[in-house]
Amino acid sequence: MSAVASSARAAPGIGWRDIALAIAPLVLALIVAAVVLGIAGHNPLEVYWLLLKESFGGTKRVAATVAASTPLILTGLATAVAFRTGVFNVGVEGSLLVGGLAAAFVGFTYVDLPAALLLPLALGAAVVAGTLWMLVPAVLKARLDVDEVVTTLMLNFIAVSFTAWLVNGPLLAPGSANSATPMVVEAARLPKLMPPSTLNAGFLIAVALLVLYWLWGRGTALGLETRLAGLNPRFAIASGINVPMLIVKMMLLSGAIGGLAGGIQALGTVNRFVVGFSPGYGFTGIAVALLGRGSAIGIFLAALLFGALATSGATIQLFSDVPIEIVNILQGTVMIFAVARFSWLLKNRRGGK
Amino acid sequence: MIDNIIHAAFVMTTPILLAALGGLVNRIAGIVNIGLDSMMLAGALAGLMVASLTGSWPAALLAAAFVGGFLGLLMSLTVTRLAANEIIVGLGFNIAVAGLVRFFLKSWYGTSGTLSLADVAMLPRIHIPVVANIPVLGAILSDHDPLTWAAWLLVPVSAWFLARTRLGLRLRAAGAAPHAARALGLNPLSLRDASTVFAGMMAGLAGAYLCIGVVGIFNEGITAGRGFLALAAFYFGRNRPWATALGALLFGLFDAIQIRLQGRGLPAELVQTLPYVMVIVILTLVAITVKRARNKGA
Repeated sequence: MSAVASSARAAPGIGWRDIALAIAPLVLALIVAAVVLGIAGHNPLEVYWLLLKESFGGTKRVAATVAASTPLILTGLATAVAFRTGVFNVGVEGSLLVGGLAAAFVGFTYVDLPAALLLPLALGAAVVAGTLWMLVPAVLKARLDVDEVVTTLMLNFIAVSFTAWLVNGPLLAPGSANSATPMVVEAARLPKLMPPSTLNAGFLIAVALLVLYWLWGRGTALGLETRLAGLNPRFAIASGINVPMLIVKMMLLSGAIGGLAGGIQALGTVNRFVVGFSPGYGFTGIAVALLGRGSAIGIFLAALLFGALATSGATIQLFSDVPIEIVNILQGTVMIFAVARFSWLLKNRRGGK
Repeated sequence: MIDNIIHAAFVMTTPILLAALGGLVNRIAGIVNIGLDSMMLAGALAGLMVASLTGSWPAALLAAAFVGGFLGLLMSLTVTRLAANEIIVGLGFNIAVAGLVRFFLKSWYGTSGTLSLADVAMLPRIHIPVVANIPVLGAILSDHDPLTWAAWLLVPVSAWFLARTRLGLRLRAAGAAPHAARALGLNPLSLRDASTVFAGMMAGLAGAYLCIGVVGIFNEGITAGRGFLALAAFYFGRNRPWATALGALLFGLFDAIQIRLQGRGLPAELVQTLPYVMVIVILTLVAITVKRARNKGA
């Protein structure tokens, strides 16, 4: 736990060494993936160049990349606010699913409301659903010290099955056989920024939240308290901070942002809720938060990276015979290397926990 | 009907039980293994390939255990030697290995998702005459494969191993009191590595069971999150082998029931949530008991 708290800490004053350390996990993951590509008979450099071209070459491609990074900014942020407090929330995926379903439900149910009312209401429903989803693990962690890793992980699976049940039964679109809700009405959809790209106003919301997070982290008492609680809970308690209450607050905030991520995905991109709504945005969010080291700019860049991989991965499969799964391999290895410490190369001094 | 369900429940229990016992030993030695699912998936693929290549099921099991154990070793070294957080590494392994497996299927076999091979050696079934005809008891005891028997045999064996043997005691020390273990001249990190290799082997066998014990083909979704069910089982059993086995059996029963529930009122999706809900409830009850005991003591 402390390993993550300290790696999520933003370094004061950025030097070359910090930048090198920050991109080390990415470089290592690229090397591992290059070996896999090489064994499969592809030229890794060519593949990487193609990925880069497909994700940033031209306005359309950039728009697709930014659109794909929108949910990842939010899930990364949701994960980061919890990690910062020392809470190991791996349940953003669950919040995202219930948030997405709640937003879609409002969007296809209250069809007579004007857009000015319906859109905020639908997004609000997503936030509420995501928050409530975190209530049980938050209270259990704060009051009874129940391991939040296990409860939030279990809740992810519950969310998958629970939402699947709802869209296969009570909320199934009439006449539809494919496990989906009806489409949300036009008034509930987030405005597109660059049609025909799916890039929508949700991206602006995500960036605005990121800026708020940055201001909040440096300028407010709560920002400092969470950091203290994450770095050293005993010191935080001794300083008079109500750590259990802080844990509840931050887990709920994490759930709220996760729910919003789902709502934006439902109202901006998918326009309804379907089984398989999320290809693991919540889990990618963990990689984003870790690679971004919990800083606002880091989360933005990491989300952009994974967004780029997601969009370009889909297209390189069309233009070459490189399987799209190279993206998953990169993502998983980035996660692993983001938490690994290489100080042992200098000195092996750790004797277990 | 009831015999069918009982038999199916035992079949569905085996992979969960195998992986759960591995995860249990792993956790007792100090590592919570979230990556069991990835080791199960890799073991399933390796098992099927070797079963088709050699036509021998013991060879297939060996290959699955080897691949699972190798992944376990990699994961463990990242955790113990690179001081990486075990939860993140486990999640990372699940994502990376699932990607690697699908990448391999496409590059090597040119197929996406499902792999069906010729001449796959399936696990044999052990038919027990006379007993097989007794209702209920026959369904419990007869027509199971060697791996199912091995899994259940391992329950008392692991209970005895952890409680009574020197190595079991050392593993427990590595998990509960690494500093004390180190002071006694043990190497807690190596003990943990060994336990993760064991967990990987067990998860690999669990995967092979799904491939050459149940289905006969490989599918990228063949584990269906059973690695996480195994995790749920040893959390449910609070690290005790018999209670963990009971959890695995319950989850196996849910699995067997939900297939028969489709189109009968109670939705299968809600039954799928039961194991996970139960874990949260159990953890809560345990925490309440601990808190009460502490309050009384104070």
